[in-house]
Amino acid sequence: MIGQRCAVTATVALLLFAPSLAMACEPMPIGKDAARIDGQNFVLVWRVEPAPLRLGEFFAVLVSACERSAQRVSRLKIDATMPAHNHGMNYLPTISADGSGTFTARGLLLHMPGRWEFAFDVASEAAREQLRVNVDLK
Amino acid sequence: MRFAIVIRVLCAAAFAGAMTALAETPLAPEDVQRVLSFGPWPPAPTVDPGNRVSGNPAAIELGRLLFFDARLSPVGYIACVTCHQPDRAWGDGKARAHGLADVDRNTPMLANLRLPRWFGWSGASDSLWMASLRPILDSRELDSTPAHVRHVYVRDPDLACWYRRAFGRTADDPRDNDTTVLVNSGKALAAFQETLVSGRTPFDDYRDALARGDRAAAAKYPDSAARGLGVFIGRGNCVLCHSGPNFSNAEFHSTGIGHFTARGRADGGRFEGIEAVTTNAFNLLSKFNDDASRANATHTRNVVLAPRNWGEFRTPSLRNVAVTAPYMHNGGLATLREVLQHYSELDEERLHADGEKLLRALKFSDAETEDLLAFLNTLTDKHGADRPRPVPLYVDCDATF
Repeated sequence: MIGQRCAVTATVALLLFAPSLAMACEPMPIGKDAARIDGQNFVLVWRVEPAPLRLGEFFAVLVSACERSAQRVSRLKIDATMPAHNHGMNYLPTISADGSGTFTARGLLLHMPGRWEFAFDVASEAAREQLRVNVDLK
Repeated sequence: MRFAIVIRVLCAAAFAGAMTALAETPLAPEDVQRVLSFGPWPPAPTVDPGNRVSGNPAAIELGRLLFFDARLSPVGYIACVTCHQPDRAWGDGKARAHGLADVDRNTPMLANLRLPRWFGWSGASDSLWMASLRPILDSRELDSTPAHVRHVYVRDPDLACWYRRAFGRTADDPRDNDTTVLVNSGKALAAFQETLVSGRTPFDDYRDALARGDRAAAAKYPDSAARGLGVFIGRGNCVLCHSGPNFSNAEFHSTGIGHFTARGRADGGRFEGIEAVTTNAFNLLSKFNDDASRANATHTRNVVLAPRNWGEFRTPSLRNVAVTAPYMHNGGLATLREVLQHYSELDEERLHADGEKLLRALKFSDAETEDLLAFLNTLTDKHGADRPRPVPLYVDCDATF
C-alpha cells in the first residue's frame, strides 16, 4: 500500500515539475546494454550481470547515476518486489560505490517468474528520489 | 468385407481422435517455453566448490559406508539409513521422522541434492555437508559427538583407509581435532548423497519431444497428464514455486499448513531456519568452507530475516513425488489427492497476515484433480520408490593406497 502511494506521488511530482527535466546530466557509461531511467532529480543507467536475468540465480546490478543539479550521488539502495504477490526478494543486496556515482549491488535473486518491480532509491546532499522500473521474468 | 469397413472406420475414428486431441491441447508459445523450463533432465553433473572431496571416488565410498553405519551413533542402532531408506525413495514413509526420539518434521527424500541452495524444510543448513552433520549431532536422531565419530575410524581399519584416501591424512592425525574429522565425515556423506540422482520420466520425454518439435513423440504423452500440466502452469499457478528442472524454486513459502507440531510446539519454519543457519559454526561463512573465495556463500551472506518467514517451509521437488508420501513439512497429508484437496479448499485465514499473497482456494473440479494426479504421476522415474542400491567401489582400499 505504501509502495503504491509512493508510486502515485512520484508520478504526480514528475508531471508538476516536468520543466526541470530540461536540466541535463549524463551518467557515466556502464556498457551498451544498460537501460536508462529519467527521474525528476536523477538520471540513472543500469544493467544486470550476468545477463540476461535468470530465474533463481544470483545476479549483480550495475548502476551509474547523476543528479541534474550536479550534486554528487552519495547513496543508492536497490530493492525488487512482486507487487501482485506482496513480497520482495529473500536476499538483501550488498552495495558498493566507486565514489563517482557508479554502484554495484551484489546478491540479488528473483525466485519467481512474473512481474518484478525494481526500485532504485537514489540520494545526494540535495535530493532523494525513488526510480522504478518493471521487469517481466519468464 | 463389412468387418474390414468397420475396422477402417474405427481406425479413421481413432486417428481423427488423436489429431483432435493434439489440436485440442495446443500449447501457446509461452506455455511451451514454460514446459521447456522444466528440463533438460538429468542436469549436467557438477561438484560442490565448498566441499573439496565432492566427486572424489574415495570420499563417495567413505560416505556410502558411513551412511549405512550405525556405529556413528553411540547407541549403535541408528544410522542415516534408518530414516533415509533406499526402498522408500530414500525416505521412511512415516509422517514424521523418528530416530532416538520423535522429530517434528517429515523425512526429506534424498535425490538431486546438487540443486538446492538450502537444505532441510526450514533451510537450516546452507550446504549438503552441513546438513549431513545436523542429524549426527541432534539428540533426537544419532545423538553423537565429534569425539565419538572420530573414534569410529580408530576401530575400523577399512573406514580409516577410505578416510585417508579421501582426505590425504589419517583420522587420528594430531594436526586435526575432533571437529575437523566430523566435518570431513559430513563432506564424505555429502559426496555420496550427491550421486543419488533421479532418472528420466515420461514427462521428460514429452518435454524433450516439444523441444525437438517432434509432434509424434509428444502425442505419446497421456492426454490427461497434458491437461494436468496445463492446469499446473496455468490456472493453478503451481509453477510459481515449483519451477525449473527440479520442480522447486528452492525457496520458502507458507502454504496454510498448521504451525503446531504433534507435541504442541509452534514450528517457526524458515524464521527459525535463518536464525539457525546464520549462527551455526559450520555454515559457509565459517573456516570449514573449502571455497576460499566464498563465492558459494552468497545466499548465506545476503539472506534476510523477515517476520513473514514465520511458518514458511521449503518448496519440495516434485520429481518422484508420487512415491514419496506422506506430504508437507509435517507429513500431515497422506496422499497426493489430499495435497490437491488442500490447495483446492485452502483456508486463507491460516496464511500469514503479513505474508505473500500467493495462494487462494483453487476450487479444482474432479476432472482437474484427476488430470493433475495424472501429470504428477508422470514425474516418476522407472525405479519408483525402490531406488537402486548404491554400488560399492569394489576396490581393496589398502591394496590401492
